[in-house]
Amino acid sequence: MFDITRTLYQFKMIVIAAILVLLGQKVGYGFPVMDAIPGIIVFIVVCMLSLIIRDLTPKIPLPAFAWAALIGLIITAPFMPTAPILNPLFKKIHFLGTTTPILAFAGISVGNRIDELKRTGWKLVLVAFAVFTGTFFGSALVAQLVLKIQGLI
Amino acid sequence: MIEERTEKEILKTSGRLPVFARLLGTVVVIIIVTELIGIHKIPLGPGAVLLLPMLYAVVIGILITPDVLGKPIAALRKLIGKKEIELAGPMVMLTLLPLGTKLGTLIGPKIMKIVEAGPAFFLQELGNLGTIFLALPIALALGLKREAVGATVSICREPTLGVIAEKYGISSPEGTGTLGTFLTGTILGTIFYGILASFSVFTGLHPYALAMACGIGSASMMTASSGALSMAVSPEMKDTVLAYAAISQLLTSVTGMYSVIFIALPLNNFLYNKLIPFFSKKKSGKEVSHV
Repeated sequence: MFDITRTLYQFKMIVIAAILVLLGQKVGYGFPVMDAIPGIIVFIVVCMLSLIIRDLTPKIPLPAFAWAALIGLIITAPFMPTAPILNPLFKKIHFLGTTTPILAFAGISVGNRIDELKRTGWKLVLVAFAVFTGTFFGSALVAQLVLKIQGLI
Repeated sequence: MIEERTEKEILKTSGRLPVFARLLGTVVVIIIVTELIGIHKIPLGPGAVLLLPMLYAVVIGILITPDVLGKPIAALRKLIGKKEIELAGPMVMLTLLPLGTKLGTLIGPKIMKIVEAGPAFFLQELGNLGTIFLALPIALALGLKREAVGATVSICREPTLGVIAEKYGISSPEGTGTLGTFLTGTILGTIFYGILASFSVFTGLHPYALAMACGIGSASMMTASSGALSMAVSPEMKDTVLAYAAISQLLTSVTGMYSVIFIALPLNNFLYNKLIPFFSKKKSGKEVSHV
């Protein structure tokens, strides 16, 4: 459900997330902060739109992440008039720079579950690794086959 | 799993500024340190493992929590405690959004190329069932019983957890199995996939096929695997690899739960019933320990 107070709280944190992206890509890849400002402002707008759309469409089971990607896709698609303006701005945002903050928070957020995992037992952990490997290579093999048949690779 | 406080309460800054300051300050330090360490390639056997800043970040994040280094170090417990961990949860969801946007902007310009590869995208979703054929026999060989059905039905993210909890109950053997894969994925998933994907280019499978495989159904695991893969392939393929992975992830997040309910779970139960006599016979006379 849409809740304006929560949306405002989220806005503050999205701005902070944007700053973290700028920090990471400056330190890691030497991307100048000033060059990335216009692009990151559009990013903040897209992120907020994705949260608001998710809140307004409780019947559609899509996470905000999917909405953000969908909006990003639409505004940069070749047939959109926005594409030639926005694409150069988005080139100033480094992909890997957006990933480090996520995983830093992700690592901390699971901190209180390590003991839980220890209690799970090594057999289930081993099985989980087999699950991860199976799902990855299962998809890769099917994709390889279909792309080959289509003559795309 | 029970959320004691709502996202709104957790994100409220007034009166809680020290919690925000401690968590965000810590993450700033983690970002600076991990980005300064930078990308490293470690040769291993026939391939190489690619270590990205995000991989160090998740490891450092886990290490500094009260369950690990916080246990012996009291000062660390003060820095990252219960409240900071609680805040980190919604922060993952929110920091995923700039990444989602970035991925969208990588997909947009390539949308025609992606439509062309449409059949591969849809069919490789079925490849996610590959987990059953590989992991179920392994689970049974390890002596698991009904836990195996829950553990190997998918990578067991929240939608699967919901399905299994509703059908069998979360404290059932099936639920125990699902929780095991869920927990392992939550804590070790990104690390595992980051390493697996950087190694996968040496299998001879095409980078685009591997890219589609990165859409596993968890945004952070997709990030770890596609990030590593994109750095392991030739630079002109990089953006396409990220775009393919993101599209596949979106498809999986839409189809995943239905695939578990209508295909994976019935198939897993069918195979379990076919395979279990064989494994029970093999293990006969020996007491098989349950998890």
